[in-house]
Amino acid sequence: MKLNYFVTTVVLLVAFLPRYECRAIDSSGSVQRATSPEPDALSLPLLTRLGEEYYIRLGNGNRNPAASKLKVMNPESSYNQALQLQLTQRLLQSNVGNISRFISGFANQLDDSAERGRRSDDPPISLDLTFHMLRQMMELSRAEQLHQQAHSNRKMMEMFGK
Amino acid sequence: MEGTFREQLFFIVLCLSVLNGDTRYIQENKISPEGLFSLLNSELKREIQDELIYSRPLRCLDMVALEGQFTFTADRPQLSCAAFFIAEPNQVITVEYDSVDIDCRGGDFIKVFDGWVMKGEKFPSSQDHSLPLMERYVDYCDSGTVRRTVRSSQNVAMVFFRVHTAGSSFTLTVRKPVNPFPCNIISQTPEGSFTMVIPQQHRNCSFSIIYPVEIKIAELSLGHLNSFPIKKSLPGCVGAGDFVELLGGNGMDTSKMLPVADLCYSFNGPAQMKISCDNTVVRMVSSGRFVNRVAFEYRVLDRQELQRIKENSVEDFCFNG
Repeated sequence: MKLNYFVTTVVLLVAFLPRYECRAIDSSGSVQRATSPEPDALSLPLLTRLGEEYYIRLGNGNRNPAASKLKVMNPESSYNQALQLQLTQRLLQSNVGNISRFISGFANQLDDSAERGRRSDDPPISLDLTFHMLRQMMELSRAEQLHQQAHSNRKMMEMFGK
Repeated sequence: MEGTFREQLFFIVLCLSVLNGDTRYIQENKISPEGLFSLLNSELKREIQDELIYSRPLRCLDMVALEGQFTFTADRPQLSCAAFFIAEPNQVITVEYDSVDIDCRGGDFIKVFDGWVMKGEKFPSSQDHSLPLMERYVDYCDSGTVRRTVRSSQNVAMVFFRVHTAGSSFTLTVRKPVNPFPCNIISQTPEGSFTMVIPQQHRNCSFSIIYPVEIKIAELSLGHLNSFPIKKSLPGCVGAGDFVELLGGNGMDTSKMLPVADLCYSFNGPAQMKISCDNTVVRMVSSGRFVNRVAFEYRVLDRQELQRIKENSVEDFCFNG
């Protein structure tokens, strides 16, 4: 009787333990899957969206990648994108198991994947990035472009002033 | 008589000016390095060119919209890196390898891809690109000594790279030459306008906007022999060699996206449609017999509009359950 009670308790505890994957989906930093592109978030700097991981997918493009584990970091006070990416890299490297699944045996897989790529038209190297992160990177690059254009115009006017 | 002779003289001078194209320079308002360089001496030109070449470090995950030199230096092994390149719709991208210090035999690589690839889906799709997939990857370790410059077919490209040793480095020089006949474009902005022209070429061209947008088609000109509907047995645009389709989906590959609308008759708009997908594409299919043109503008949908569409739409295929 006591054994049954104990076994039942253990089973219930295991069944209702919070899953790491569900926690990630529920986190506020999770990807908005095409339901809302968050136009308000578009105006937020990238630093508030820290922690979105990405994978470089190597090998068979048909392989279903592990769900991106998304973690929300505390927002930084300074605009330092290099630091953000460093943090993202550390997060990436901390998931050694997931990364190694994509990268291990790459040398052996390359020929196979190239052959498969020829047959199946799947890209042998791909990047698992969300649209949300891609959009933010585009906004940053656009801002950099405009800033550089303004700088370049100013430099030219200074040159002509000499 | 003297007045008539003066008028004739002015008329001749005006004609000569027009023929020489001098009026072009009057209309030139943009400050461009090329326009100003012609007025400077060589020493000043050299100084300005050094100042104007943009350079910065390349990050492991990066997006570059500028011309310039970008140097990646590994402070530790970096096994999974990628950089996106994007240009204006009427430009292509050239990537030149400079000062490459990597260990190809040790597993390092630098691969430039002609297009963008994300989650196993590529833009442009295989249907819309002239090269087979494997030829779209150019590996420095395979061909870097022979082919130091890679040129994209459209306004986007990307590079994948991996270095195992701290201290390894390479420099990429990115330029954006003009493409007179742009085909296959990713918009850099969530709002804008574009006119896509396919001048008697048998090709398919896509304009991709990676936002949910409202598209307003101002003009569609498909070079049918006449503007009246051609009698066909099949409904819609089936069988039409020249048409425009609006696609929506949650990936990069246009061949895997769902058609929202097909347009195969010329009209002067505006005709508008809201597409609430992560990626919205205007794709023109051209038989090559006619000059086809579509002019449209687009703006991003706000949260309220998206919510309304989600509530009202019968088939909200872009919303994941």
